[in-house]
Amino acid sequence: MPFKQVRRILVLMLAVAMLSFMLACGDSDDEDEVAEDASTGTAGTPYKPSGNEGSITGAVNFTGEAPAPKPISMDADAACAQNNPNPQTEDVVVKDGKLANVLVYIKDGKTADGKSITGFAFDIPATEVTLDQKGCHYVPHVLGIMAGQKLKVTNSDPTAHNVHPSPKSNKEWNQSQPAGAQPIIQTFTRAEVVVPVKCNQHPWMKANIGVLKHPLYSVSGENGAFEIKGVPPGTYTVATWHERYGEKTQSVTVGAKETKTQDFTVDASAGKTASLRLLEVMPAIEFPSASKH
Amino acid sequence: MAETPKTDTDALARREPETPARDPIISRSTSNILLVCALLLMASLAWALYDEAYGQRPWKGMQQEFVSRYNRYLKRLKRTGTQSEKDVKESEAYKELDLAARDAEQAAAPRKKEIDNEIKFIDSQLAAVTDPFQNKRGRITVINYNVETSDESDKKELREDVEEEKRERVEVKMPVDPNSGKTEDQKLNYTELEQKYLTLKDRKAVLLTERAEVSKEADELKKTRDTYLKDNVIGLSAEQIDRLIERNDKFDYSLRQINVNGDQIVDRCETCHLGIREPLELKPINFKRTGKKLDANARAFVSHPSKELLQIHNPERFGCSSCHGGNGRATTSIVKGHGRHRFWLHPLHERENMEAGCQQCHSQDRVLQGANVLTKGKDLFQERGCVGCHRYEGFDRETDGLANSRQTVKQLEEQLAANDREARQLDVEAGTVADETEAQAKLARAVALRVTNSQLEARIEQLNVQARYLMQDQKKVGPNLKDVRLKLRKEWIPAWLKDPQGFRPGTKMPTFWYLNPDHELSKNIKQNADTERAAIAAYLWQSSFEGQLPKQEPGDATHGKELFETKGCMACHSIGEGVENQVGGTFAANLTRVGEKADFNYIVRWIYNPRERWAPYCPKEKRDLTRADYEKNGKPYRFDTEGHSKCPNDGAELQVQNMTVMPNFRLSEQESRDIATYLFSLGKGAQWPDASFMDDPKLKDQGAFYIKQYGCANCHEIRGFEDEQRIGKELTAEGSTPIERLDFALLTHDAEKGINPFTDKEYEAKDGKEAKWYNHKGFFEHKLEEPGIYDKGKEKEPRDHLRMPDPYLTPEWKNALTTFLLGSVGVEGANVPASFFYQPSDRRKDIQDGWWVIKKYNCMGCHSVQVGQKSVLQELPQYLTPEGKDQLPPALMTEGARVDPNWLLRFLTDPSLSNGSDDPTVRAHSGMAGRNNSGQPSGSGSSGGATSSQPQQGGAAASNQPQGDGGGEAASGAGASGAGQQNNEAREMPPQPGANKNGVRLYLKARMPTFNFSPNELRTLVRFFLAVSSQQEPFIKEPINPLTDQERNLARQLFTSQQAPCLKCHLTGNPDHDKNASAPNFLQAGERLKPGWTFRWLLDPQKVIPGTAMPSELFKRDGERWVFNGELPESFNEYKGDHADLLVRYMLQLTPAEQSRLAAGSPSATGGTTTTGATTNAAAQSSTHHSRPARAKATATGRQKKYRQRAGLVRSPAGKRRGVAVVRARGSRESVVFARQYGVGYSPPSGHSW
Repeated sequence: MPFKQVRRILVLMLAVAMLSFMLACGDSDDEDEVAEDASTGTAGTPYKPSGNEGSITGAVNFTGEAPAPKPISMDADAACAQNNPNPQTEDVVVKDGKLANVLVYIKDGKTADGKSITGFAFDIPATEVTLDQKGCHYVPHVLGIMAGQKLKVTNSDPTAHNVHPSPKSNKEWNQSQPAGAQPIIQTFTRAEVVVPVKCNQHPWMKANIGVLKHPLYSVSGENGAFEIKGVPPGTYTVATWHERYGEKTQSVTVGAKETKTQDFTVDASAGKTASLRLLEVMPAIEFPSASKH
Repeated sequence: MAETPKTDTDALARREPETPARDPIISRSTSNILLVCALLLMASLAWALYDEAYGQRPWKGMQQEFVSRYNRYLKRLKRTGTQSEKDVKESEAYKELDLAARDAEQAAAPRKKEIDNEIKFIDSQLAAVTDPFQNKRGRITVINYNVETSDESDKKELREDVEEEKRERVEVKMPVDPNSGKTEDQKLNYTELEQKYLTLKDRKAVLLTERAEVSKEADELKKTRDTYLKDNVIGLSAEQIDRLIERNDKFDYSLRQINVNGDQIVDRCETCHLGIREPLELKPINFKRTGKKLDANARAFVSHPSKELLQIHNPERFGCSSCHGGNGRATTSIVKGHGRHRFWLHPLHERENMEAGCQQCHSQDRVLQGANVLTKGKDLFQERGCVGCHRYEGFDRETDGLANSRQTVKQLEEQLAANDREARQLDVEAGTVADETEAQAKLARAVALRVTNSQLEARIEQLNVQARYLMQDQKKVGPNLKDVRLKLRKEWIPAWLKDPQGFRPGTKMPTFWYLNPDHELSKNIKQNADTERAAIAAYLWQSSFEGQLPKQEPGDATHGKELFETKGCMACHSIGEGVENQVGGTFAANLTRVGEKADFNYIVRWIYNPRERWAPYCPKEKRDLTRADYEKNGKPYRFDTEGHSKCPNDGAELQVQNMTVMPNFRLSEQESRDIATYLFSLGKGAQWPDASFMDDPKLKDQGAFYIKQYGCANCHEIRGFEDEQRIGKELTAEGSTPIERLDFALLTHDAEKGINPFTDKEYEAKDGKEAKWYNHKGFFEHKLEEPGIYDKGKEKEPRDHLRMPDPYLTPEWKNALTTFLLGSVGVEGANVPASFFYQPSDRRKDIQDGWWVIKKYNCMGCHSVQVGQKSVLQELPQYLTPEGKDQLPPALMTEGARVDPNWLLRFLTDPSLSNGSDDPTVRAHSGMAGRNNSGQPSGSGSSGGATSSQPQQGGAAASNQPQGDGGGEAASGAGASGAGQQNNEAREMPPQPGANKNGVRLYLKARMPTFNFSPNELRTLVRFFLAVSSQQEPFIKEPINPLTDQERNLARQLFTSQQAPCLKCHLTGNPDHDKNASAPNFLQAGERLKPGWTFRWLLDPQKVIPGTAMPSELFKRDGERWVFNGELPESFNEYKGDHADLLVRYMLQLTPAEQSRLAAGSPSATGGTTTTGATTNAAAQSSTHHSRPARAKATATGRQKKYRQRAGLVRSPAGKRRGVAVVRARGSRESVVFARQYGVGYSPPSGHSW
């Protein structure tokens, strides 16, 4: 009798051992796969908040001479002027030396326990991010959203618009939205900084949507202030993106439950984006000598 | 050893040895040998068994490996796969569908149950009746048969039997109660049985129909639900995966074999490559062993990377080795299976050359979808000029076609003469024969011959027309060198010949290393490189045309830059020094240093009209004609493709254009000057060493010799070498040359050992690839790397050395060309039967032909012609912004479905659509659109018929025609006369063949140029677009339902409604409105668009042209119709028709009058950006394009005056646009418009200043 029992226990143990071994094997396979995919898709290890998260706050300062906003003529569409009596360009909005409409986000870096921040899959908020069309302007002009999060585009104008983002690695769409129409609900499935949005009918209308893999971003307000919440402790490359002055990065370390204050500076000379500079390889200068030979 | 017993026979005993010699057989033990033998036998048996089971069948191990790895992957997948299925099942949408399906099922259930019960009862009744009824019927049939076959006397009796049978009653146990199953005995005769049987059957059918009807809704809902599930689960469902695992568990370990075409191809590749046709997409990573690196097995088990390709090339029909090469039969080792042996003719193509396999069947396709490397190879072969020296069947379409049609004409003419002779003889014979019938027969035959001849004459006429067109379409890879004196700086020529890549990195002009004494290969063999180079330069210089180009004043470089970057020049040309800094297309030259080599006046003339030839060439007389030739025959000195292409001396067809593919952008002279000025501003003003030797007449003959030697005339037009034959080897079947006939020369040993001939070190073998390169791939790769490589170490006369120059090729290009060459095996060398070759005769043939033209002119530089293909422009920085994207030329994926082919024909002839009236609806429908129209030099623009009616030919307008004096003596033959032709008189620029604008998209800055296609190419192009969109040909327009007055009112209201802002973007023809428009004029729609396409376009433009400015969701579904998606004018409440259809009909039937009514009720277009240039805008209001009003009143003479005026205007230097305001002193209205166009009216988003 005892012998039988021992045998049963042995068999049981063996089975358990094998099972756990198999499971372990299986799991490690999965990790292999994930590791291969993490850099590209939205997939990754789910991020579980530890309660130690800190935040990054600060302001975006502007140095140099800010180009003055230019007035926009909206004569073409009477409905526009109704909601927007004094329309002007908003590509550079500076007030008291602070720059608004700057997307500040964590671009890269490692958490305190050495894991790449881009390897995590953060929960996608159920709330929508709203982009309104009001007075033939997009409100807000720059916004951040997580990949997979819902974007809700509303039309508060008494005229028709069309919403036309031109992304590089997301699906492109161009939808008409007449006055009083239902909001357009769309999602961007891949991270992309940034997706420009325009309205073909009112070509001055422009918005920029930063699509990110994580919720660690913020857009500077009129006073240049921003706040990135829920940052796991670690050292990160924080990027500031502005539609005219391009992207700039800076390293920021956040401790556990720390509210890190970090200001950024954008200079007026930052100018153009790199791709457009290519064409400036050969600036046109005055004709040297036509009758040299 | 036993003692020998003593006997009396001593002698005998003595004879025997005392101790007998040791008998090895007896005495020695053989057990060791036996053991060894036995062991050997055992071993060989074991080996034989092993070899039988495994040695000869290594694939068994592979198969086991596959099953185990695949199962592991499937199980892993099942976890993630089912998760996805669960997600879908938990989604709201699915639950809703599921609920609806269940509800419907429940609702239908009671009635269904009733019906089922009744059917059950009927079935039981039927069961009772069927047997007796069928028995009875059988018996009656037997008796009836007997009646039919029996004698007349017996029939009556038998018929009575039938009646008797029918009367007889049978006992039936008929169920009477559906519930209790109680039966009742009934006695029925045949008629009653039959009736009962039929009634029951009918009732059952009725019930079954009703049952289907009742459950229809539920069934459909269930189907919708399941389809939803199927559509939304990503990857396979758990069920499908289970099925795969189950299949793996019963895996059949055996050879997998495909037999193709009567066993010509026997492929066992799938014995190891088991994943190829799996439904899943299997990648090496899926077969990776945990914790180990990717191994060869993991790579072998993948699924075919292109399921689409497999679908059209079903392996059961094509096998594997037919495309991939390799030895399909071999299964014993990987090396054998892959055919990697020098004696196997078709080794497996390497991964990077995989598409070589496509070429053997698709050699006639210029563009092969899905084979980008091969297509690139073909592009390079043509564009980089390989085709200049090497014949390749199909690549020289015009020249081959020309030779063919000339040959055929000759044959036909002989036939014609023969027929004529026979007919005359028959006439005579008919008069002499006695028999009437015979005479008639002869006469009839003579008549038939004459009619045949008239048909032959028509054919000859056609062939001659063809020949003319083919001559028009003939192009050269390099520029015309008869122009060098007019075009180039003399000193630059020798410098260029020495090192073209040094002057212009990446240029098509290869380095002729024989001409460069600094080149490593030529160091040893060429002592006289300098002399040869000088001689060639001297010949070119001395044989060139001489003359005076119109003097050009410098233009505005800033404006030129703007034009260069926006008109579309960069789809072919690039700017930027060094290969890595170049921005733009690689189809044509990099223009950064053009100012250092060329004459400004020539470049202006070239930009203005690149096809404008200096003097026509007569292939019959083999010389360039002069003005004297024309005057001698009393003809004006005019030559062009518009009816002035014949030789005044003998009527032969002339070469009247520069043989370049560069089109005419219909720019004004001023614009041409601006662009040239910009280009000239880029150069650095290099100095070249003195080259006065080029005028030495003694060098000329020598030069002619070397030009012939190096085949310069294969790519360039050179006087005296017009009929030069190709000097290179034909490459059509180069890939199937036997390896021993590829001349590795002294490198054979290196190749076999895998030694790198450039470094003399061994190649590294990696990724399972061999270092040895004694194969076709190795030969081609090394030759492309360094063409002269196989001359290394050879003792040869300089002239016997390989003449192939060193072309500029990137590694990627070399691979593409190698792929192309490896696949070039010809008909004989193909791995597959000729019946496999792709030789379509239907619409697909039209597509095949079309690609040759599309690639020839680089249409894909500006347009997206193919789904998924990006144009060159699309990738340029100025087109990457949202604003830039709106400036891209239209995508042409659905062009054939979009436009009327007749319209397309006219558009391709003259893309400015300037001939005749500007109003397209008034323009006549001329069948062969526009050919005659474009003959009219309508440089005076599009404003009405006034100018187009002016005769521009002959005396009155002579000053407008190309002129030149006939002073020089024509040089006949190669270098016969010392000096070139003299054409010293300055010539005016001829008028442009169309207006300075786009025909449809006036708002685009990129310009559709005039290509001067021959009717042949026009037809090919139109057919191509029709075929791609599956359109019928010839096109017959569908009638459109006319609009009622009420409908017209409705449509107008919708058009002008704030909610449907069509007119915010579309042109209306009103300059005030149009200045910011960004979409075509509706007035052109009726003539241009097809209704079906327009309807689909309205519903979802993004589907037709992704990224278009036209938004989707303009209409929504309402039952069977589409209604406008937005607030509708009240009058629409009563309208029951389809709104999209209404708008299509309205658009396609729009009249100018109706359009002005529309325009009156709508705001102006809003397509501009900020209004920083508001004041300038107002000044420039009257035109969408600056040249139109300026040109409107210009007459032939007036125009010239204007040019001079403009040329004489003094302009202040233009500052940079940003920062410094553009100040212009130009007084003409043009300057104002310029300012609007690129100065202030347009403000790019991020402030760059291109």
